[in-house]
Amino acid sequence: MIMVKKFRKIWPLLPAAIYLLVFLIIVITYLLIMSFSGSDGSFPSLEPIQTVIRMPKFRDALLNTFLFVLFGTPVELLAGLLLALLIYQSFRWRNIVRSIFIIPVAIPGLVTATLLFILFDTHGGFINHLLMGKYSFFPGIISSSIDWRGTKFFSLGLSLMGKVWRDMPISMLILLAGLNSIDPQLFDAAKTMGAGIRQRIRHIIIPLIIPSISAVVLLRSIEMWKEFIFPYILAGRYNLLGTLIESLYINWSGKYENGAALVALILLICIIVSALIFIWLIDLLRRLLSDIER
Amino acid sequence: MRPVRKIPRSKYKTVIWMCGIVIVLIFILVPVYLLVKYSISDTASINTGGSPVPLWPYHPTLRCFIYLFQDFEFWGVVLNSFIIAISTVALSMALGVPASYVLARQQIPGKKIILLSLISIRLFPDISSVIPVATFFIKINVHSSLFGVILAHTLLSLPYVIFIGVSAFENIPRDIEEQATVMGANGFQIFFRILLPLAVPGLVAAAIYTFLLSWDEFIFAHFLLHPSGRLLTLTLYLKQKLTFQPPQNLLAAISVCLSIPVIIFTLLVQRQMISGITMGSVK
Repeated sequence: MIMVKKFRKIWPLLPAAIYLLVFLIIVITYLLIMSFSGSDGSFPSLEPIQTVIRMPKFRDALLNTFLFVLFGTPVELLAGLLLALLIYQSFRWRNIVRSIFIIPVAIPGLVTATLLFILFDTHGGFINHLLMGKYSFFPGIISSSIDWRGTKFFSLGLSLMGKVWRDMPISMLILLAGLNSIDPQLFDAAKTMGAGIRQRIRHIIIPLIIPSISAVVLLRSIEMWKEFIFPYILAGRYNLLGTLIESLYINWSGKYENGAALVALILLICIIVSALIFIWLIDLLRRLLSDIER
Repeated sequence: MRPVRKIPRSKYKTVIWMCGIVIVLIFILVPVYLLVKYSISDTASINTGGSPVPLWPYHPTLRCFIYLFQDFEFWGVVLNSFIIAISTVALSMALGVPASYVLARQQIPGKKIILLSLISIRLFPDISSVIPVATFFIKINVHSSLFGVILAHTLLSLPYVIFIGVSAFENIPRDIEEQATVMGANGFQIFFRILLPLAVPGLVAAAIYTFLLSWDEFIFAHFLLHPSGRLLTLTLYLKQKLTFQPPQNLLAAISVCLSIPVIIFTLLVQRQMISGITMGSVK
């Protein structure tokens, strides 16, 4: 009787719950089974691991992705911090400026990538013309066209730039929420009690802003690991893990299907490991800081 | 509103701050301008034969848009994207709204854990979860169909709908329900006549968010429609054109068509969406 009553209360939850849980189970089991299946359908098999590890492409992609995360995350944090600090204090056009600051995230990533594709075209691209000094308002820096999409450094750098440009409003919003949570009264109270600028920064601003900074770094680094669309459009020849998964699954018409699943699993593991390391580091930092206080 | 703190700033600081604002505005607005500029460029303004690309087209023209709007294939593609997006909204609202009502209003043990485990599917990167989903869809024969993409996009949007929906229902004061119960309304009446209308603003934001998510989604559409090649969404259409290196003005025009609904809607529901976006970064 009690069960029936309970069921009556919660049945509207069930369709959504079942839908999501079924997909969750499918994703986990298929990922694991495919990663350890041979091409002849045998399970368990180490064949995908052997194939993938022997691929020079895989090692390159892993390293590229690692560097992408390592450089991209701080750049995005700084960009977000810059934007947040610029519009933290109120001024006359603040709401309009904030709306404009949000525009990049409102443009689909594919469109931003396409625009960069057009602007950084090797022959007749706007950026090459600009850097070659063809406009009177900009000095010439290079003498011949740069093949932006053809070299590893430039194509991945371009992808990174596009990614940062598109996502900096998100970092900005998180940091702005953190900054706004600092109550000015707290500040004034500390001042009345005789806290100097240094003490106020150390005891109020830093502890209150560190949570939102670490949130940005954690979330952004995860985003960087799984980046797909920018390198897919702009760095066709140089893979990140995301684009490697795509090319293994799609371009080889099923031959490396299991390999693709394995790389997808490896990407997932990379994300979890890097998130855990980061959380551990933050914890360490916090303990270190409180030790110094004493 | 946050209380405004007035700090006397020196002129020197103000100048630096204004320079910062201007530089960032240029950095954001110039690419947007260039996209629009390319979309209304005539051929001579793109293939300049060595002379610099003009900052404003020699002869601005809407030719690319007219070409697109007269193209039967383009309309088919837009229709596909539209059908997928609308169906995704319908399906994820139908599943998500009742679920978020229960999570917001009923006493369930371990509510937080349930909510977290429902959202946990979004912790997988799209590019990882798309492989199992595509393989499974081939097996159950919904691969290469709009229906499959709708199911996948619902999977992506449902956690957001539940998340936004829970807070929409939680913001409604409980007194209203109690009064309605006293006056003799039953559960269905309370939900459909009272709670649902009050939750509409938040739910509309969730619906718009879902529409946009589906409208500019690329990865799942690409994996689920790929081998057929006949069914395209707007994003796939743009990517296909990109591979064939068509004139840049056409690429830009397609991009503008793809972006316009997204930009308008995002700016319209900016406030409600901020929570969605910050939560979106958890995906």
